[in-house]
Amino acid sequence: MFPILQIGSLAIPLPGLILLLGLWVGLEISERGARRINVRPDDLYNLVFTAFLGGIVGGRVAYIVRFAEGFMASPASVFSLNPGLLYPAGGLAVAFFAAFIFTQRKKLSWLTMLDGLAPLFAVFLTALAVANLASGDGFGQASDLPWAMELWGARRHPSQVYEIAAGLIVLAVVWPRVYSFGQPPAGVRFAQAAALAGLSRLILEAFRGDSATLPNGWRIAQIAAWLVLGASLWGWRALQKNGTPVNPGKIEGKRSL
Amino acid sequence: MHPLDKIANQKWFAPASAILLLLGWLWIGMTAALPGATTTGKIPAPQAGFLAPEFSLPASQGGAVSLADFRGHPVIINIWASWCGPCRAEMPALQKIYEQFADQGLVILAVNATAQDTETAALAFARDLGLTFPILLDRDGVVSRLYENRALPSTFFVGADGVITEVIIGGPMAVALLFTRVQSLLERPQ
Repeated sequence: MFPILQIGSLAIPLPGLILLLGLWVGLEISERGARRINVRPDDLYNLVFTAFLGGIVGGRVAYIVRFAEGFMASPASVFSLNPGLLYPAGGLAVAFFAAFIFTQRKKLSWLTMLDGLAPLFAVFLTALAVANLASGDGFGQASDLPWAMELWGARRHPSQVYEIAAGLIVLAVVWPRVYSFGQPPAGVRFAQAAALAGLSRLILEAFRGDSATLPNGWRIAQIAAWLVLGASLWGWRALQKNGTPVNPGKIEGKRSL
Repeated sequence: MHPLDKIANQKWFAPASAILLLLGWLWIGMTAALPGATTTGKIPAPQAGFLAPEFSLPASQGGAVSLADFRGHPVIINIWASWCGPCRAEMPALQKIYEQFADQGLVILAVNATAQDTETAALAFARDLGLTFPILLDRDGVVSRLYENRALPSTFFVGADGVITEVIIGGPMAVALLFTRVQSLLERPQ
């Protein structure tokens, strides 16, 4: 594991850096393909930036509301840079809301924007697994297989490596399509990526050693992945048959907010 | 048209999807976590979900302090050095939280990475700040190695059952962060 990148006296948390790098690389690929589906790269960039900002602010506000007592003792903590003071569910809700408002104001199609963001989604999945490999999070179950790796006091499934491979497979399906002119109806490209991601999570969660479980031992992430798989397969078929065709185009635009 | 886009138009797509989902559901049942498969609290390792590795160190106040002495209490293990800016910045927050929660059983073990520091500087710093929790001296770097310490400060939140609930590498930690983490440690079933 390699959680810290030491540059002189500066200690940089590597997992966070990998996630930021994943966001940047994914966004770059998404922007390059945006013109193919008649989406302005600026709109894609601004949508992600708005959701990201909304997620950070919303996550902090939700945390303050939930744990108000802690902030009354130290009001200055409101502006702390600790990422541990973000409430993920609240951040996610505000991020979605901010993205929704943005698309409404800009009169953008949700499905087309999701298509545009499919490569970012795939790259981020891979980056998340790499970040877990660096930090030692998302570790595997104990195993005596020849390729098991020594981690946290036992030989374990290299579950992070499995997930990197799965992320790369999703990316290998999604990435070449970015440059293809024969685009499917709006939303299909994202539904395909989500189906693959859901299927890989459903399979690979079984090898994790840190799964949150129900009382009967069923892994919550597998059930969530199964629901994602079902919804995306249904959406894929419905959109492929009845969806709005995407007009391939080439839009020029400079990045700005 | 991309080959992938042709699939969904095939007659077999819907039944194949249904079979895939059925197989997926069976997989969930087959791979349900056996008792103990994902609860890693029995193995000592410096990671959330694992038992906090045991150690015993000399304390600045004299005598030796063992982590095992505090089983049944929520514990914060903070590894620090006097030359480390973020360590110095977060010490007042740790002291404030200690004063607030010590009567509820909170224990803070401030492990000075003495192997990378000087004992004189560490003790002078603790005295200047009026720290009242135990300052432990890791002269040989045993705890730093045991806890795979790669950056200072590193903080381990340990439940009353001895299991690490969270690891925070770097700092400084805000008072609110410590407050909420200690509250959840105190509310955690033993």
